Amino acid sequence: MEYILEMKDISKTFPGVKALDHVQLQVKPGEVHALMGENGAGKSTLMKILMGIYTKDAGGEIIFNGQPYQVSNPKEAMDTGVAMIHQELNPILDMTVYENIFVGREIRKNGLVDKKAEIEASKKLIKECGLHVSPMDTLRSLTVAQCQLIEIIKAISVNAKIIVMDEPTAAITEREVELLFGHIRRLKEQGVAIIYISHRMDEIFTICDRISVYRDGQYIGSGDTKDLNEAKLIKMMVGREITDVFPKLEAEIGDVIFEAKHIVRADNKVKDVSLSVREGEILGIGGLVGAGRSELVEGIFGMHKLSSGEVYVKGEKVTVHAPQDIIKKGVALITEDRKVTGLNLSGSVNDNIAMVAIKKLLRNGLYSKSKARKAANEYIEKLKIKTPSGEQIVSNLSGGNQQKVVIAKWLLNDPDIIILDEPTRGIDVGAKRDIYLLIGSLVQQGKAVIMISSEIPELMGVCDRIAVMSEGNLSGEVSREEFSQERIMTLASAIEV
Amino acid sequence: MKKMKNFAALLTAGAMMVGMLAGCGGGSESTSTGDTGSAAAATSDSYKIALIQQHQTNAFQIAVSEAAEAKASELGVDLTILSADQDAATQISQIEQCVSEGYDAVLFEPVDPDALGSAAKEASDAGVVVINIISACTDWEDYGISALSCGDNVTAGETEMQNVADLLDGKGNIAILTGPSGDAGGLQRMEGYENILKNYPDMVQVVEPADCEWDTASAQSTVESWLSAYDLDAIVCENDGMAVGAGNAAGADSGIVIAGVDGTPDGFEAINDGRMSGTVSQNGGAMAANGIEAAVTLLSGEELENNTIITDNTWIDASNIADYE
Amino acid sequence: MKQKRNAKALLSEYFIFVIFLVLVIVLTCLKPSFIQPSNLVNILKQASINGILSFGMMFVIIAGGFDMSVGSTVAFSGILAAMLGQGQYPLFVPLIVALIAGLAVGIVNGVGVAVGDLPPFIMTLGTMTAVRGLALLTSNGKPITGISAEYKAIAASSVFGVPMLAVFLVIVILICSFVLAKTVYGRRVYACGGNLLAARVAGINTTKIRISTFAIAGLLAGLCGFLMTSRVTIGQPTAAESYEMDAITACVVGGVSMSGGVGKSWGVVIGALLITVIANGLDILGVSSHWQKIVKGVIIVIAVLIDVKGKSKKN
Repeated sequence: MEYILEMKDISKTFPGVKALDHVQLQVKPGEVHALMGENGAGKSTLMKILMGIYTKDAGGEIIFNGQPYQVSNPKEAMDTGVAMIHQELNPILDMTVYENIFVGREIRKNGLVDKKAEIEASKKLIKECGLHVSPMDTLRSLTVAQCQLIEIIKAISVNAKIIVMDEPTAAITEREVELLFGHIRRLKEQGVAIIYISHRMDEIFTICDRISVYRDGQYIGSGDTKDLNEAKLIKMMVGREITDVFPKLEAEIGDVIFEAKHIVRADNKVKDVSLSVREGEILGIGGLVGAGRSELVEGIFGMHKLSSGEVYVKGEKVTVHAPQDIIKKGVALITEDRKVTGLNLSGSVNDNIAMVAIKKLLRNGLYSKSKARKAANEYIEKLKIKTPSGEQIVSNLSGGNQQKVVIAKWLLNDPDIIILDEPTRGIDVGAKRDIYLLIGSLVQQGKAVIMISSEIPELMGVCDRIAVMSEGNLSGEVSREEFSQERIMTLASAIEV
Repeated sequence: MKKMKNFAALLTAGAMMVGMLAGCGGGSESTSTGDTGSAAAATSDSYKIALIQQHQTNAFQIAVSEAAEAKASELGVDLTILSADQDAATQISQIEQCVSEGYDAVLFEPVDPDALGSAAKEASDAGVVVINIISACTDWEDYGISALSCGDNVTAGETEMQNVADLLDGKGNIAILTGPSGDAGGLQRMEGYENILKNYPDMVQVVEPADCEWDTASAQSTVESWLSAYDLDAIVCENDGMAVGAGNAAGADSGIVIAGVDGTPDGFEAINDGRMSGTVSQNGGAMAANGIEAAVTLLSGEELENNTIITDNTWIDASNIADYE
Repeated sequence: MKQKRNAKALLSEYFIFVIFLVLVIVLTCLKPSFIQPSNLVNILKQASINGILSFGMMFVIIAGGFDMSVGSTVAFSGILAAMLGQGQYPLFVPLIVALIAGLAVGIVNGVGVAVGDLPPFIMTLGTMTAVRGLALLTSNGKPITGISAEYKAIAASSVFGVPMLAVFLVIVILICSFVLAKTVYGRRVYACGGNLLAARVAGINTTKIRISTFAIAGLLAGLCGFLMTSRVTIGQPTAAESYEMDAITACVVGGVSMSGGVGKSWGVVIGALLITVIANGLDILGVSSHWQKIVKGVIIVIAVLIDVKGKSKKN
């Protein structure tokens, strides 16, 4: 048996859209097989068919482990030996770690839940994963990265023959990525096949054996990783060559426009951090997840209580009690989790874009829909937001386009200082490039940008200067001439120099 | 026959439900015309009379419907009964509807004593005979209302409290349970209580009157709590439902005088087994029947001797209950 | 440091219990008869029906739902029980019929919500109105009198000084707490309310779970209907008006999250007792009922407010 899984001639039609058009996928036992393609290429749809969440159109077949494979829900898929770590899936926040790991397949004793056995098993799994949490913690008290790892543990513990990982590293740090890769390698040795979906090229080339590429619901091709390189892959994915992954537009750097001094958060997640940014400058903030980067900008933005610290915008001291105080001064914060704090998912693109700068869209004191439509259309065009119209509901857009909507919403308010927290997380190459170009054009207009990212190559490609944080402190600053991955990693891991 | 009627009611209720689900907010058109007997008697030139009740959800109101139907069939008039479901706006639109559908007379028990005046006036201006039953609209005569057929809540309250006072020999600790605060009938009964209590300085209210919203369970809980903290000699309730609750809390033959108003079957049951001492019968059925009679009199061109028709109330206790059950 | 934080977390978790104790102490000081055995029995009796309803409501809310119809269901099943409890059948007949009637309403709610995908509020608002109508229809709008002496005796009797109603409550509490805390089913109820999609992907039949929570609420409402009729000695179509609000209040005050997935049994017990104690205490103090309403509202808001504040600090 050459392949553990063969999906042949699979199609899926949604009302009005052909999401998959006669595509295929072959996975060998014990290999890590990457699925690549821009958002909307059909990777997730294909995997949802595999998991029994969607039903494929008539025709085509799936063969798993030499047998025809037919499942109608994820439970059946798991029982057959196929597990999936969902990118979009939030864990059950109010349940404990062990409850989450065993949800849906509780360990039983005399018909009741065997809590003790579950806790024991969880402890073992957590330890194997190198995670430092108690099985009794609720997920609400964990970080995003820790939650993601719990999801991974959950999938691993099913003893599946195939594990689908959809963007498993989107929210975790490089150190944790290494741990994950260790697991993947161990799973490989046990003959488990991994289907790996990611936008991170470096990861694909590090961990994957073979790659299948999809574009616009079509199957483009497959190949061994060793025969491919980044440029070739990108060409397959976008259908044209992208020579420059991190375009950097030249901008003139002016005076200091924004300054934060001695920021200490009341909950002590940020301990005495000072930073400043100039007109036309892109300041990166690097560091591991949990280093306090988001906490810093959220503190500055008035979303959390500070116990001390001063903020100066254009030389003027600003007292921040709540976000509106600093928004008025021309600062925008594009938050990390666009689904929680960035978007009204059930609202239209127009509604979302109008949300912040609503005062600009008034006519005679009333909200003018036509003005909003006009403004939204302007940004849909400027930011190349892929949407059928401004009336489209935001939750129907891809991640990259949702992110652009969040950015558009803030740009409409015409801010001078724009803070972006992980602006490219979980979005595809083409959309990432659009966002880098957008950031570039903003600083060209003399605005200042502060950008948080966990991807060091991205920071190095885009920023003029990088401030690195570690455990709530500023561990150092690196200017563009001195950029090196090693230097930044050293600062991020807070090894005393 | 009875079964058929129930079935018809079920059908109309079903239709109402469908109407409700479809989101049409029109007034409930639960028409329950008299039984087939009256239908046979009702000739094409018989009078068309509508009766709009406050609601149809307790024994008192059901007695009103039944007595009205009986009277209608006796007099050979075509009677339609509507329920305003405790909503003044519904009642107003029902009156308007009756006018436009060409009814000869409209009888109604106002949901609110102040809200129905102008609707009544419009109806009477349109030539419809308007009769106010059970509880009076404020300044009813100014609104073209031809007659008022009612009991008198103040007198009912007086009768109740007088009997309680007699049973207590004019002294003791009493407590009062009231209907929903602001309910006109309740306030009038309270006025009656106060009129009597003035004469008996030794009858003391040891707790504030409690608003139990005509509800048995609520009255039962309140009285249970009271009894563990106070030594009560009498509990005076503004209706029978609450008196039954008080009786349940105190138990049968507790030695506590418990009185209600209305004379409903649950009250009678409690009087029979000693949980209640007595009740004041408000003969709602008689009020409705008298109202219909008055309407027919006026429609046939005759004059009323008196345009306020008061139905007497009676104190019912174990000694005379057999006559009323 | 950690110790101190734990103490704080503990306090915030059990804050509602502290509020309850304070209220009891204050009432005892103001009116010593509050704490006398006879009144404690009253409190147990008065808390029973709301307590049982609250536990049904708890299942629904934890699974992410909401049930407005339980009050009407109590009235409807109570009417049926009163009609069948006139002595013509053995007592288990009205009991079973009341339970089945409640269960049926619950299943209708559950199917509407879980299969029909209607918002729980709308679905149960519909059944609330319709079932009230059914109660009025079956009783012809009149109270049903004449229930048998044995039936009346159920609510009136007591076992070793504990009123029978409270015995029912305790049994319901024990069973419900056990099911929620120990069984696979209980775990899945929390999972559905915590994150419906995650539960579905984990292979849980969320439709079945959600229907079953409404069914439990309905079943317990049916039981309450049976007990209610025994307690007030008549079946009333207008009984239990707005009881769903008291049940929801008990849940919320007891720490059940309206967004689902969170809630402990003991919290709901305290919530139900708190509501009863407020009413009972104020009755005993002879406070006018207008004031009672104000006090009840204020205490509820303050209790939840302090609870929420305590929790947000913990995070």
